[in-house]
Amino acid sequence: MLEIEDLTCTYGSVVAASQVCLSVKAGEILALVGSNGAGKTSTIMATMGHVRITGGSIMLDGVDVTRLGPRHRARLGMAVVPEGRRLFADMTVDENLTVGGYTRTKPAARQARERAYALFPRLAERRRQIAGSMSGGEQQMLAIGRALMVSPKVLLIDELSLGLMPKIIDLCMETIVRLKREGIAIVLVEQNTDRALEVADAVVVLASGRVVKAGTPEMIRADDTFFQTYIGLDGGQAVRNQVEANVEQRSS
Amino acid sequence: MYYVELAVQGLIYGSMYALMALGLTLIYGLLRVLHIAHAAVFTLGAYVGVITANATGSLWIAFPAAILAAVLAGIAIYRLVYAPLLDRPPLVPLIASVGLLILLEDLFRIVFGNQGIAFNENPYVYMTVTIGGLSIGVLQLAMFVGSVASLSAFAAFVAFSRTGAAWRATLGNPQMATSFGVSVAQVRYLNFAIGSAFAGLAGVLIALLNNYAEPGMGTIVSYKTLAIIVLGGLGSMRGALIGSLLLGVIESYGTVYLSGGVDRDAIAALCLIAILMFRPEGLAKRIAA
Ligand SMILES: Nc1ncnc2c1ncn2[C@@H]1O[C@H](COP(=O)(O)OP(=O)(O)OP(=O)(O)O)[C@@H](O)[C@H]1O
Ligand SMILES: [Mg+2]
Repeated sequence: MLEIEDLTCTYGSVVAASQVCLSVKAGEILALVGSNGAGKTSTIMATMGHVRITGGSIMLDGVDVTRLGPRHRARLGMAVVPEGRRLFADMTVDENLTVGGYTRTKPAARQARERAYALFPRLAERRRQIAGSMSGGEQQMLAIGRALMVSPKVLLIDELSLGLMPKIIDLCMETIVRLKREGIAIVLVEQNTDRALEVADAVVVLASGRVVKAGTPEMIRADDTFFQTYIGLDGGQAVRNQVEANVEQRSS
Repeated sequence: MYYVELAVQGLIYGSMYALMALGLTLIYGLLRVLHIAHAAVFTLGAYVGVITANATGSLWIAFPAAILAAVLAGIAIYRLVYAPLLDRPPLVPLIASVGLLILLEDLFRIVFGNQGIAFNENPYVYMTVTIGGLSIGVLQLAMFVGSVASLSAFAAFVAFSRTGAAWRATLGNPQMATSFGVSVAQVRYLNFAIGSAFAGLAGVLIALLNNYAEPGMGTIVSYKTLAIIVLGGLGSMRGALIGSLLLGVIESYGTVYLSGGVDRDAIAALCLIAILMFRPEGLAKRIAA
């Protein structure tokens, strides 16, 4: 459904993503993990068409969208739940969904809206509330609901669980598993690697903009030192912390 | 009664300012460009209105013709002047805009003459109606009703239609709006079209009220609307509306109480200076974008 080959993007001299390859089938969740600054957000935003790429290609359901803008990618069935949610903060919940369904026909948008409200009854209770005034969890539900208004074939999610309490994370995870069963191809960027591996069908690990490992969740889990180095805290920070702690113990 | 009359006069002028200020604030909100040349679109509307009315003898043709001309001019200005300059520092489109206003005013002078043109026939100039004991000019009433009606229609469009929602989304967060299929270019064109239509309408209404159109008629309006959108908080629609009515009323009272020292048209400039000194963020706090 989504095939990315050799995607490369740079900001000036910073290479944010270099020859990233990934592919997600319909009804599959691909977890994209890596430490801070590994290039996850850049990959997501380049896939949606917001970051210009310097190389590579992006295929959406058999269509080459590499040269198309985000607007056209949306029309072809790509939707994003961006890092930081980025809702239309001064508009109501209902209006955020309206904009989400901008490409759909009126009846299709109506149906999608009912669906979003059924999925997140909390949103239905707050239809008229200004999005910016909602709690973080509610905002994340709205960001997901807004993306679903597109009726996406491919759903790109950047930082699903960031800043949410466990119960809400559970709800969001359950929801995306449900969406995957309905046949949506999902790319999930997630800091909480354990949670991501629970729901993922495949995993791609990024470090410094490069794919350093790809495989099933089991394969990633099996390689313990690898796990620590690349996906633990900040780029092996966990390992460094451990070493420093040992040093301190010895010196005291 | 006298005070009420002054207030009514103020609101009537304020409603015309609102027509002009709205377009300006919308364009600022979307592009961060101070569209000074908006005043030339207003003047163009006035000229086309007068010329069409004189040629056809019908105001029913003059209004749509003026509005259409204004819309086309506004779109052309965006396409030919602002669009190529948007990547430059904000001062560049601003200077281009000031230059364009001067250029267009001179163009009006060259094409239509220095003196301005009057309506051949304008039976409404001296007509008045009496409402609740107040005698109001028919044209002033028309200006008020026309402004309120078009601004309300616009407010309803922005608040309730899907395109209106897409518009607001683009104002607040253009990148995310495109993620959901909204065309920022279309929103910009629509923005210029609607803002310019209002300017064209205001142009004909003022031409009718003065009975003629002249090359420099936009200059005063341009700095007044500038004062208004600074007063209301740059980019805020609600602020522009409140600022317009406020300036209208302040001018109305000011003309009477300050008549010794200050010209009516200087009041806007005084307000502008006062606001910039004491409350540069505008009177109405901007709603979080
Ligand atoms: N707009 C930008 N301009 C310059 N450099 C940028 C920009 N955006 C990202 N970068 C750089 O690109 C690299 C990858 O950043 P990116 O945001 O994609 O990482 P990430 O994996 O999403 O990190 P995090 O887990 O912190 O969200 C970083 O080194 C970052 O500093
Ligand atoms: Mg990120």
